[in-house]
Amino acid sequence: MSRAFTPGRVVLHGLLLVLSALTVFPLLWIVTAAFTPQDLIAAKSMRFWPESPTLANFTEAARRQPIWAWLWNSILTSALITLGKLLLSLPAGYAFARMRFAGRDAAFWIIVATMSFPAVLAIIPTYIGVVKLQMFDTYSAMIVPMIPYVGFYVFYFRQSFLQLPASMFEAARIDGAGVWRQFTQIALPNVMGAIAALSVISFMGAWNIYLWGQLVLDDAGKKTLTTGIALFADLDAAETPWGALMATGLLSILPVLGVFLLAQRYIVEALAPGLGEK
Amino acid sequence: MQPGMMKRLVPWLFVGPAVLSVIIFLYGPMIASLVLSVLDWNLLSPEIGFAGADHYEAVLARRDFRQAAWNTVLYCVILIPAQIILPLIFALMIHGLRGSRMAVIYRSALFLPTIVAYSVAGVAWSWLLNPVNGLFNEVLSAFGWPRSRWHTDPDLAILAVSMVTFWKSFGLNMLLWLAALATVPQSLIEAARLDGAGRLRMFFDLTLPLISPTAFFIAVTTLFSVLDDIVGVVDVLTGGGPAGSSTNLLYYLWQQGLGYFQFGQASAVAMMMIAAVLLVTWAQFALVERKVHYE
Repeated sequence: MSRAFTPGRVVLHGLLLVLSALTVFPLLWIVTAAFTPQDLIAAKSMRFWPESPTLANFTEAARRQPIWAWLWNSILTSALITLGKLLLSLPAGYAFARMRFAGRDAAFWIIVATMSFPAVLAIIPTYIGVVKLQMFDTYSAMIVPMIPYVGFYVFYFRQSFLQLPASMFEAARIDGAGVWRQFTQIALPNVMGAIAALSVISFMGAWNIYLWGQLVLDDAGKKTLTTGIALFADLDAAETPWGALMATGLLSILPVLGVFLLAQRYIVEALAPGLGEK
Repeated sequence: MQPGMMKRLVPWLFVGPAVLSVIIFLYGPMIASLVLSVLDWNLLSPEIGFAGADHYEAVLARRDFRQAAWNTVLYCVILIPAQIILPLIFALMIHGLRGSRMAVIYRSALFLPTIVAYSVAGVAWSWLLNPVNGLFNEVLSAFGWPRSRWHTDPDLAILAVSMVTFWKSFGLNMLLWLAALATVPQSLIEAARLDGAGRLRMFFDLTLPLISPTAFFIAVTTLFSVLDDIVGVVDVLTGGGPAGSSTNLLYYLWQQGLGYFQFGQASAVAMMMIAAVLLVTWAQFALVERKVHYE
């Protein structure tokens, strides 16, 4: 590949620089607003660096709402939803890739057909179920119904397991490894990249859950960051506390950003082969 | 236990939990929606009546339902092509610079909004789009464009919601396209170029067939994710307004069912949506997947 400065490459760089700047600008605004004193935020439409930077917005946000509890709730619910999805989809993906059994194709399609199922469509009966089971305003209500959206995960893990050479399992079987040991000691360690990638995607997705959390988590102390942030806007209709809002917004972005930056390479590498072969 | 029995049982121990939970939590509510849509019942009253097709007729006759249905079509027309084609163009641009350090930076920058929650994106954009001194209007007026009220203008609300939704979610498809492009063997491209194939022809005759599994996957997932993605943005940015101008069928369903507790009518909407989702999913797999080249 050529690294020379051809006119085409210069144009590409130029276009991508503009695109990147446009895309990142709103995020930059969240960051600067989070550290700018509330009374200065509305004065200017854009600043690249916060004027008289302050942490007051964070303490103000914490004074109005239990944002640190929200942070913990977000971590807890996202981690448990991710764990639940892995526990459901890894064994299923493995069996669909490696085992022959009656009803396999039907079972596979029952799961994979839900891949594009909009969550909102199930929301009313699920909500009624939660209320009837007296699980309203509990973390179980927040977490459990969000786990079974595993269509993509099962599809993807099946692809990953299919790519492992059969000889690998043959050798283990000759050594006397049973089905369970083949799964946990041969298959799983060899798809760690795929597991890491989907864990991050699941974690980010669960972190962003909004409508469902808004619906079943009632007590302010039980909310997550992304559902709780709506409480700021509701409380003060007269003057929106932009500083506290953006401080909370930034708080909701940072952990996911950290996870993503750590796993970015994994995700890109894992996504390519996972979809290619059947 | 007999060994034969055991052998038949083991696979189901692996797939059973996933199959059961999908049936209970996804197919179950579908069937429950069907039942709710033909009953006269609210959560509180002990009496349950049979409504037949009443809820369907009632909801189809409502102006706000028709508006939501029309808006859903508009959202699909704007967002589905945008969410598939623009990320592909961005990916091709970044792929064209692969190997340079900047390519990684562009990729990260363009992916960055994907990690922002819909509610946070909605809150941030409600400021950026504000008509008084919102950045968006400032930039437009610097180029001589008139200021607009965007999400608070009934004519522009759909555009504003689409824009925020696109900003927030195009990164994932871009990443998928990029990952697929990276799998295309460079030698094939070189050979085609030596044969004198133009760039466009090379893309449509060579690259696209090679990455068709990803293309199909993106088409399947994008079709309905755009409907779902809009809901969070709508709730925070516009609440479906002004005057229902930015609502879509999923948000309408949510408002009718859980805002006004019209379970019957909301479930009728859900059933119509489920029928549409199943039909289109079936069509995608029956008609399009045959053309996908798996290796």
